[in-house]
Amino acid sequence: MELKIFQEIIKNKNKKIEFSVITNLETGNSKIFLVGETIDEYFFEHEKKIQFFCRNKKNGIIENTNIFIQTFINPVKVIIVGAVHIAQYIIEFTKYLNFEIILIDPRKFFATEERFPKIKVVNKWPEEAFKEIITDSNTALISLTHNPKIDDPALIHALKKNFYYIGALGSQNTHSDRCERLKFFGFNENEINSIHGPIGIKLGGKSPPEIALSIIAQLTLETYNK
Amino acid sequence: MNNSFDKKFLEKTNDWLKTNQKIVLATVIQTWGSSPQPVGSKMIINENGDFSGSVSGGCVESAVIRECLEILKKNIPFKKIEFKISNENAWEVGLACGGEITIYIEQVK
Repeated sequence: MELKIFQEIIKNKNKKIEFSVITNLETGNSKIFLVGETIDEYFFEHEKKIQFFCRNKKNGIIENTNIFIQTFINPVKVIIVGAVHIAQYIIEFTKYLNFEIILIDPRKFFATEERFPKIKVVNKWPEEAFKEIITDSNTALISLTHNPKIDDPALIHALKKNFYYIGALGSQNTHSDRCERLKFFGFNENEINSIHGPIGIKLGGKSPPEIALSIIAQLTLETYNK
Repeated sequence: MNNSFDKKFLEKTNDWLKTNQKIVLATVIQTWGSSPQPVGSKMIINENGDFSGSVSGGCVESAVIRECLEILKKNIPFKKIEFKISNENAWEVGLACGGEITIYIEQVK
């Protein structure tokens, strides 16, 4: 592979651009292909198959050819509401997973850069914050403040946008109160039941890093179930 | 979730590029049966035999590194290596999972 192609892969990864790398295994020639771009004449005869692999985010060799395609997909967007102790561990644990974390907390003393270096922190109320964050059914929400004033608007947004994973921290009681409030806001039982509350899978631990681990485990599970 | 250029891999790669080291990229291009790493998994090797990433669960890495150093030495641009259960080499390196994998190694230059 040419160094300049290799460097472009790194550049695209850092810029969070989705792309594919097409390699002719016979000649060693590689090309970068961005979705929507026209395909180089060199690989043109395989255009349909290449598009198929890219659309379906597949890796592999095109049948009966020497063409290998690898698609590089963007990380899954995960919104954390609450710049609390558990959030610090979640961010630490997800460093090597393919998640893009965005942290929301209107409380300035929690959401400091000192506590959360190298993470996108939105220091606003959720309603305001979501105006500047693109979200859809590929987005996940981890809600950690157990303060209705901060959590509820985020949960409402996530339910409306059909996030694939919604988890909310809080005890059984806190969660049932939360469900009552959401019912009042007009959400049906199915929607409310889709919230993972109390959040996380049962690992038994109670310390912040252990709770963070149980949340990450559940998030990963649901990411593969979506 | 599949992320063959993860943080550790990128950091190592950047270090080696900055210091102009000779590097070889190894990619899993085909698998049959049970194999520990999916198609697209990557490993990067420098001229000293240091490596980052993986192409199996530790089963064939040593053989892949050997091949990578070999193509650097002989200045071969790329090569396909197959590991099969019937392959003597695979037994030697211990592909215990019973799967088969094809790995494409290429010089980055």
